[in-house]
Amino acid sequence: MPDTFETKKQEKTVVTDVPREAGVDLRLPAVVPAVPYPIETLVPQVNQQTPAVGQRVTRPDGRMHGLGQTKYIDDMSFPGMLHAKIKRAGIASARIVRIDTSAAEAMPGVMAVVTGRDIPVNSFGPSYQDQPVLADERVFHAGDGVAAVAALTEQIALDALEKVKVEYEPLPAVFDPVEALQESSHKVHGTDTNVYAKKTIRKGDVERGFAQADHVFENRFSTQMVEHVSLEPHAAIADWDANGRVTIWCTIGRITLARGDMARTLKHPMSRIRMVGTVVGGNFGGKNEITQEPVLALLSKKTGRPVKGVYSRGEEFTSTTTRHPIIMDYKTGVTKDGKIIARKVRLVLDGGAYCSWSETTLGKAAILSAGPYNIENLDVEAYVVYTNKTMTGAMRGFGAPQVCFAYESHMDDIAKALGIDPLEIRLRNAFGEGSASPTGQVLHSVVVKESLLKAAERFGWKEGRS
Amino acid sequence: MTDVVLRVNGRERKASVPPETTLLQLLREHLGLTGSKLGCDVGDCGACTVIVDGKAVNSCLMLAGQVDGREVLTIEGLATRDRLHPIQRAFEERASLQCGFCGPGSIMSAKALLDENLDPTPQEIRDALAGNLCRCTGYTKMIEAIQDAARELRTEKSARTAP
Amino acid sequence: MKRRGRGIACMWYPIGFTVAANPSAATVKVNEDGTATVLTGTVETGQGALTVLSQIAAEELGIAMDDIHIVSGDTDVAPMDTGAIASRTTYVTGNAIRLAAEKAKLILFDVAAPVLGVKPSQLEARDRKIQVKNYPQRCLGIGEVAHRAQVVMGEPAIGSASWNPPTVAMDPETGQGKPFSTYVYATQVAEVDVDDETGEVEVLRIVAAHDCGTAINPMLVEGQIEGGISMGIGFALQEEMLFDKDGRHVNPNLTNYIMPTSLDMPEIEVDIVPSFDPTGPFGAKGVGEPTAVPTAAAILNAVHDAVGVRITSLPATAEKVLAAIKAKREGATKKLTAV
Repeated sequence: MPDTFETKKQEKTVVTDVPREAGVDLRLPAVVPAVPYPIETLVPQVNQQTPAVGQRVTRPDGRMHGLGQTKYIDDMSFPGMLHAKIKRAGIASARIVRIDTSAAEAMPGVMAVVTGRDIPVNSFGPSYQDQPVLADERVFHAGDGVAAVAALTEQIALDALEKVKVEYEPLPAVFDPVEALQESSHKVHGTDTNVYAKKTIRKGDVERGFAQADHVFENRFSTQMVEHVSLEPHAAIADWDANGRVTIWCTIGRITLARGDMARTLKHPMSRIRMVGTVVGGNFGGKNEITQEPVLALLSKKTGRPVKGVYSRGEEFTSTTTRHPIIMDYKTGVTKDGKIIARKVRLVLDGGAYCSWSETTLGKAAILSAGPYNIENLDVEAYVVYTNKTMTGAMRGFGAPQVCFAYESHMDDIAKALGIDPLEIRLRNAFGEGSASPTGQVLHSVVVKESLLKAAERFGWKEGRS
Repeated sequence: MTDVVLRVNGRERKASVPPETTLLQLLREHLGLTGSKLGCDVGDCGACTVIVDGKAVNSCLMLAGQVDGREVLTIEGLATRDRLHPIQRAFEERASLQCGFCGPGSIMSAKALLDENLDPTPQEIRDALAGNLCRCTGYTKMIEAIQDAARELRTEKSARTAP
Repeated sequence: MKRRGRGIACMWYPIGFTVAANPSAATVKVNEDGTATVLTGTVETGQGALTVLSQIAAEELGIAMDDIHIVSGDTDVAPMDTGAIASRTTYVTGNAIRLAAEKAKLILFDVAAPVLGVKPSQLEARDRKIQVKNYPQRCLGIGEVAHRAQVVMGEPAIGSASWNPPTVAMDPETGQGKPFSTYVYATQVAEVDVDDETGEVEVLRIVAAHDCGTAINPMLVEGQIEGGISMGIGFALQEEMLFDKDGRHVNPNLTNYIMPTSLDMPEIEVDIVPSFDPTGPFGAKGVGEPTAVPTAAAILNAVHDAVGVRITSLPATAEKVLAAIKAKREGATKKLTAV
């Protein structure tokens, strides 16, 4: 679009109304009053002590946080910077028939529009590259992005999204992980099965263990989908310079691998990509992958300007990774004195539309699912399946909070049925130094019993109820 | 355009902004005060908390036009060239903030509380922070820091009022 | 009426990736005055990682945390790092930084040894000095040695190192193998009140005893535990992303997606269980993720203890708990099971 148009637009509505201090000559450049804070050379004494390990030193970044001086992505801006917004599909499973961006592109203040077809290699993912940066042919969940707009202001970008017309042909969908396991179910990615990873752990002979057990307990547990809710939304600024070198300031917690993803999706050499991870306003696993960064890079390349993108709180929920819901079947054989001798676990993880960190989550959930207990006969099978929902990925604990809820609830049920104190039954079964894990690993620096005793002592467990 | 004249952190500021501009946008985009954060834009998270005429408010829910003629205190107005505000110092010493994104809002809520009540109970502190979501800290070390700061402010006050 | 209950839950949790390589590299440069700069590719995501990593570098060089400046999060300057994920920063990046600092330190020893008239192997770095082991009065200031290394010897004290946790692949049929280098352990005990007329659960107190190997900075460990517990409370009682029949989110906002506020937090008492892992930097392992692991289990066991109902699907909202209490009262044997 013509450059003059843009200048005119800027004159009309954009920040020409720069605030000026009262009484200051209006011809002077607007100057923001200096922010007062001490230029502090005084450092807490504890930070200056040796040896350093074990000291309760304060965080230098903590002072900046408290002053409001930490610069998160949204606090940064560059001259000429544009604002990007992404149009979300709003439909969980569909074929994209056509995308018409012409009306959006014609809007005053809109500088560039990109769709999935503009992305050189439109797929990424830490285990399998099954996730498009922007959906091109198919939509796999309602939060998928289908087009992105860079405009002079965030509001113009939002208005332009309304003018991007997408025609969808709705396709069947599957939302329930158990249903997704069935042969007749809709196949999210068109493969033979929705199961995209499986983990098995076998040790001893679980059926013989059940036969020898005095009691066998069974229960099914399930957990929900949870969002990380980092207080800072995903944000990034991309600046593609005249040498073809692109700098990305981003909220990603693992920039080395993100640079690899950028190089791959943009087909661009790593030497021409600089990823800068600023202070991240909360991660918890939710900021471990690229999201909008390739899109912002391309918008910057198209416009020759820095481009900022900040997710809305809604996008944080619909379009970023979440915690896996897991359906967990436990069957446990115990002796009458509460010793676990056999355990069978079946896990079905709802992986959502893309793999993301599901493979890792599956592995950890399967390995940890037996609990920190010595169990001679063990049989764990765990599956993760695609559904047409927001993708699940890394979140604090990678499947462990879910299986811990199951194995520890199950443990209390067993204790109650056998009339054994919940602390006691755990101590009878817990790992010790040199115990073999479910994968046959000999464990070292094992303090599970110590932690049980310490917590129980502090709580006053043995003293009985308060 | 709406013309606004207000006092921010003790200094008079003027701005002419589109009528839909929120106080948060006025502070961040027009006055260059980025300490107040945008976490949800609908008044749920409290990351944008500032003090308007002595009351803690979500600045994302207030229009710039509504603060015309009023007094606004932001996180940038707490410290002086000489020292950190006692709440800021206590937050630093206790490591009360982790990612820090909720920090400015939480500290402003604490400031509004301590301006009214220099000897709050833990429950009163919890009530004051109830509108500030934090995902990192479990609020525990914030509550402790606010108690520390209240203690210091009480000491300062009694030193000032002593004959 | 309100009924009180208590519940216990313990857990184990691995540090680092499952089998997959997850290396970290680091560079440590000792400045001419004995302070040091650390380059790392990890990113501060709020947990205080850079502070802990500074303490590790300082410890190896025998200087204070305040003597370290850490440069992070820029692919132009920092060496490779797998990043702030899988509770690996203290353990993996920490090991890389310790090794890099050790290399820089050995250069200082080489420079100091002839001056002190001993072999490099007889030296140690402590209290901002390079000193002869067991003869601390025979020493040089670390700044003096660093300056000499740089200016006189033309051998700046810079060390780079990489570390990757050793693992053994798992057998695809049996899962046997060594998927992780090390694990941490923890127990949490919860005390709750359950209102048997509304089903509402109030968490009154949580006692947490966590193993993190050596606590490099106990204050930051406590912060991780308190924060993990709040996330665990949300997981146990409040948070749930809901979808309509067409797979669209119905609560994508913080008005309808409920997470813990300051009013939902119980009294928290934290203990760090003494332990030392010889494979970690100065015996440290990690603590980030595990803090959120046992909380929900402890709370749900406390609910069971209070009102005798076993909630098997999370979150245990008041509606769900009340329905279970009613079902139990009606003598129904069927349990409220998973969806």
